[in-house]
Amino acid sequence: MSLLAIGLVLLALVVIGVPIAISLGLVAVVAMVTGPGGTGSLPNVGLVMFSGATSFPLIAIPLFILAGAIMNATGISRRLIALASALVGFIRGGLSMVTISASLFFAEISGSAVADVAALGSILIPAMKKRGYSRAFAAAVTSSSATLAVIIPPSIPMIIYGVMSGSSIVELFVAGIVPGVMGGLLMMVVAYVLARRHNFPTEQAFQLSRVWETARDAAWALLLPVIILGGIFTGWVTATEGAGLAVVAAILIGGLVYKELDAKQLRKAMLEGGSQTAVVMLLVAASALLGDYLTEVRVPQGVASGIMGLTQDRWAILLLLNGFFLVIGLFLHSAAAIILVVPIVMPLVQAAGIDPVHFGLIVTLNLGIGQQTPPVASVLVTACSVAKADIWEVSKVNVWFVAVLVTMLVIVTYIPIVPMALVEMFYR
Amino acid sequence: MTAPQAKVAFRRLLEAIVLTLMTALAVVVVVGVGFRKAGASLVWYDEIASILLAWLTYYGAALAALHRAHIGMPTFVARLEGVPRVAVILAAEACTLTFFVVLAWAGVRVLSVLGGTSLTSLPWMPMSVAQSVIPIGAVLFIIAQLVSLPDVLRGTTHEPDDDDDGGPPPAGAAVREVAA
Repeated sequence: MSLLAIGLVLLALVVIGVPIAISLGLVAVVAMVTGPGGTGSLPNVGLVMFSGATSFPLIAIPLFILAGAIMNATGISRRLIALASALVGFIRGGLSMVTISASLFFAEISGSAVADVAALGSILIPAMKKRGYSRAFAAAVTSSSATLAVIIPPSIPMIIYGVMSGSSIVELFVAGIVPGVMGGLLMMVVAYVLARRHNFPTEQAFQLSRVWETARDAAWALLLPVIILGGIFTGWVTATEGAGLAVVAAILIGGLVYKELDAKQLRKAMLEGGSQTAVVMLLVAASALLGDYLTEVRVPQGVASGIMGLTQDRWAILLLLNGFFLVIGLFLHSAAAIILVVPIVMPLVQAAGIDPVHFGLIVTLNLGIGQQTPPVASVLVTACSVAKADIWEVSKVNVWFVAVLVTMLVIVTYIPIVPMALVEMFYR
Repeated sequence: MTAPQAKVAFRRLLEAIVLTLMTALAVVVVVGVGFRKAGASLVWYDEIASILLAWLTYYGAALAALHRAHIGMPTFVARLEGVPRVAVILAAEACTLTFFVVLAWAGVRVLSVLGGTSLTSLPWMPMSVAQSVIPIGAVLFIIAQLVSLPDVLRGTTHEPDDDDDGGPPPAGAAVREVAA
């Protein structure tokens, strides 16, 4: 089965509504049956679909999702918002500043942008509407700042990229810190400019006593990133083990300290986490099936030699890859895009001498932009749903915040020291 | 038992399995870290945790199928109406079911081939126990797909059928949440 035929069948299946994971698996089965092994190769389907779902580093995904969901069910987001409000609420467009800074905090304990937008948006979007902000602005600022969650560690797309590319997940996490914080600060500048233009209000005046009170109330919540990231960055635990500790810490803090975690909420969080994990892992397992076939017919090597034949300039290759991932991000969810594309382009990335960790940040940012750009735009859709706003109206405002993400992408791509400085300093 | 009751019972069964696996996974990882830090690493920790992840994948996938929450591109189908819409939905269902029938068959074949082999770290546990998730998970997925098909044809999202508000989000919600 030729690569073109595989691509066309895959596209046809996805377009008629077959889930992507199952489309991948079915195409792989057809390729195997029509290949030299014929139907005799079919039992391998069972073996590969099992082994493809047994990756130890990916155990971090359900655990981080679970930890984030538990934290969300324990009033942690409310406390973080109160602290952010005390810190930046006095600036023009105060609630938008609160949204961005609370997203920065929340990103450090949640690996998912949609978890971020759901947790913070449900509180802050109605508050912004009440204070005279337009629905479109409220949804746009919440949606874009939530994407910081996939750049700032821990990040589920980075975990998936790390496994698919064989890169260090810890180094990927560390590489995300500077771009994530820079992106947050740039978004605050954009929000400030828009707030002045539309005369959005300020919140309470800055008071040190209020900062102290809210910080004291949120102290345990602030301790969570220290537990999660401190253990991982110092090498005391792996990313997977850090995620396990995050679950325990979230239960202890939510249940014993804040006393806001009830059994019903915990059950719901666990079911959501289990379903979400299964959706990603089925994709991973099915891609292992198709990946085996593609590797056998040397597709990744073919892509690498084809592009290297056109240009060997790494910056030009990065430009090509950026364009490719931006387009892919328009149509695919980040997990699906990483699982499908990264194994195919990694030989090219290595041949061009691009650091896989640096490339991981580039991929994550590209797909972060994809979360904001229709038609798929998973995070934007969630924010619009919370704000009950039209997606196109929100997109007109969101274009300014997406411009920040694109700026960050250019900076991260062409000034590698920005994401890589901390990695080089502490890990190499 | 009526059809709606059977559907609720099926959903609750999957939910109970997913809850058990999520708990077991978290406990195994935390216990594993604890023992490693205490200088007495558990030899079975990595292997068992990885197997639990595979089990969570397939039992959770069936639960996600019941809620039609797998990642896809519903844009095209959403624009269709009438007979073409039903025809495309049924074609997609047939493709999905075909894959899981193949997977169930392959899973059973693998079980017979694995015969007397056992896990590396726990020699008393047959490998077939770990691998059994493939045929069982495939059959559960097929049932989930068939049970939720009427909702898809009616164009209604699947909501929990009783007063149980602890279920995962309705159709498509998990899709939008995953890894985003």
